[in-house]
Amino acid sequence: MLDLTQRQWVGYTVLHPFEGFEDMRWKKGGSLKIAMLIVLLGFFAAVAHDRLCGFQFRTVSSRDFSIIPYIAGTIVVFAAWVTGNWSVCTLLDGEGTMRNICIYSAYSLVPFITQAYINVLLSHILIREEQIFMQLITLAGTLWSVIMLCSAVRAVHQYTLGKTLLAILLTIAAMAVMLCLLVLVLSLLQQIWLFICTIYTELTYRIRV
Amino acid sequence: MKNIISRLIMVTLVFLIICAAPVNTAAFGAEPYQTYNYDKWGEAVPSQAGYTAERTVTGKELGTGEFNSPKDIFRDENGFFYIADSGNNRIIVTDFELRNTVKVISSLTMADGEKTELSSPMGVYVSPETGLLYIADNGNSRVLVCDSEENVTAEITKPDSEIYDSEKPFMPQRVLADRAGNIYVILGSITSGAAMFSSSGEFLGFYGANKVRPTAEIISNYVRNIFTYGEKRKKKSRSVPSGITGFDIDGDFIFTCSSSKTRSNDTVKKLNAAGDNIFDGRELTFGDYISVYDETENTSYETKICDIDISGDGNINCLDYTAGRVFQYDEDCNLLFITGGIAEQTGGFERPAAIESDTEHLYVLDEKKNYITVFTETAFGEAVHKAARLYNEGRYEEALSPWQEVLRLDGNYRRAYIGVASGLLTKGDYEGAMKYAKLAELPSVYNKAFEGYRLNFLREHFAMLCLCAAAVTGGIVLLVRHRKKKR
Repeated sequence: MLDLTQRQWVGYTVLHPFEGFEDMRWKKGGSLKIAMLIVLLGFFAAVAHDRLCGFQFRTVSSRDFSIIPYIAGTIVVFAAWVTGNWSVCTLLDGEGTMRNICIYSAYSLVPFITQAYINVLLSHILIREEQIFMQLITLAGTLWSVIMLCSAVRAVHQYTLGKTLLAILLTIAAMAVMLCLLVLVLSLLQQIWLFICTIYTELTYRIRV
Repeated sequence: MKNIISRLIMVTLVFLIICAAPVNTAAFGAEPYQTYNYDKWGEAVPSQAGYTAERTVTGKELGTGEFNSPKDIFRDENGFFYIADSGNNRIIVTDFELRNTVKVISSLTMADGEKTELSSPMGVYVSPETGLLYIADNGNSRVLVCDSEENVTAEITKPDSEIYDSEKPFMPQRVLADRAGNIYVILGSITSGAAMFSSSGEFLGFYGANKVRPTAEIISNYVRNIFTYGEKRKKKSRSVPSGITGFDIDGDFIFTCSSSKTRSNDTVKKLNAAGDNIFDGRELTFGDYISVYDETENTSYETKICDIDISGDGNINCLDYTAGRVFQYDEDCNLLFITGGIAEQTGGFERPAAIESDTEHLYVLDEKKNYITVFTETAFGEAVHKAARLYNEGRYEEALSPWQEVLRLDGNYRRAYIGVASGLLTKGDYEGAMKYAKLAELPSVYNKAFEGYRLNFLREHFAMLCLCAAAVTGGIVLLVRHRKKKR
């Protein structure tokens, strides 16, 4: 029973949001490669949502487009979630390894990402007055993903429901701290680089004179 | 390989520069300044000139002797021009072409038959209804109202009122009158708006005061002022609104402008009879978006609008004296053209003081150069004016071909893309409207065009779509049955 291939596991967990991850854990299913692919698809979905939607729904001008915020908004946030969850749950007697947290979290993002692609397609058919249909799909996909994320955390660490919610809240706090530190480090590095640049220019002036 | 590529790039670049050069010089050739306009993102882009300097008019050419720092120019209903030649204490009236002097007013007859001289008149206005001439006689601290025979019918001096601060001098700078005969006077060193007088000269109060925008600095000053007393408090800077520097009346509305050095709000206002600003709540920018700093001159060219004029077709002309530019807006406050600049040649200004316009011309009075520059509408300007007028009246379809003409002359003109998109939309050419709405970066118009396009598409291909839908459902049903059998 439940002898599924790695690809079938994705479908199984999505269609069984409450007990799917427990089964997958029991059968030791889940592939890191597929998880990476899902995150990559999520990144493409974020770009497609702003760039490939019908022009009537376009909010971002092609002139102001920059790829960096999209990378930061998907891949970096996901990485922060995995690291944050791992560090929090190691302290809270979680059983999940980093690899498993990554796989389970990525699988639970599938409905959200699918929703984005469906909306990109729909935006070429609908007009602004019918946007409510797209909003409904967004809502459904997001809710589904949130439920799956909760059950993923519960299954991967073998928590009770209350502890799961606590872990998720703490993870979000940990993510905020991490991103804050990241920005700090980046700005510090930038200043150091600026300092080096200034010294270099100063030296070149001196040498010339 | 790398060498070949870099050479290719070089060759194409050189080719492009050669191609582009004559086009550029053709575009800017006639004017002593670069003509530009703003695109959707508020960046300056080269544009065609809407007006071109035709000629200049000096006092000598009019046969009255040179002007001496003239301050105001006004064109009345019949096309006569009134020039307030401040330094020579006179008002010059010329014909509609600014070729010949009709008369020179330097002294007036008072009601009691005595003669009175003008002293540096700063503003002049002629009422279209009554034909009365209003003079802001600055040097004598009074406003005179007189008929066409130079008989003074009313004299307005410093009001004796509780509202009017008696320590403040009475220095009228600009004057105008509305249909009911109420007289509005802009006073130097008064920041509470224009003084309003009844037709008989009775002081009614102030009109159209500018507001102080509560910026962080002003709020902090206010809070600090609560805790300071005595001498220290007197030294504190007070939050005073900017005064009005120029105004014009168009039917029932009075347009005011302000050229304060410290305040950036309320630069241009459209006031109704109650003194409410019609432009309030709209995010409008008048003048240049970004002030330009000139290193060689050590000056910053921040727009300071010193005079405003409404032309016959409702366009708003704002005169900026720092950069010597005339910003023309249509009645809906869309920027049409930017004309002029600080330059020695014809078409440039040194210290522009006043602006006047009719449907095809702009007249700018320069108080340092002591002459009037006459600008004439170009073919491009005519096309834009026609298109904008039709568009603002809601006749999008009729505005279509003028807008297309505008696009032919200047592909940078964004409003033309909006105009063409709206025109095609009303006409029913949805595909074209979608194309131009995309070019204008206007999703709202695209949305409407797409709605029509989709409807037409559905009507045309309804049978086909039904067939496709039936085929797909049939296919799915078959597939499901097949799978069930397999199990």
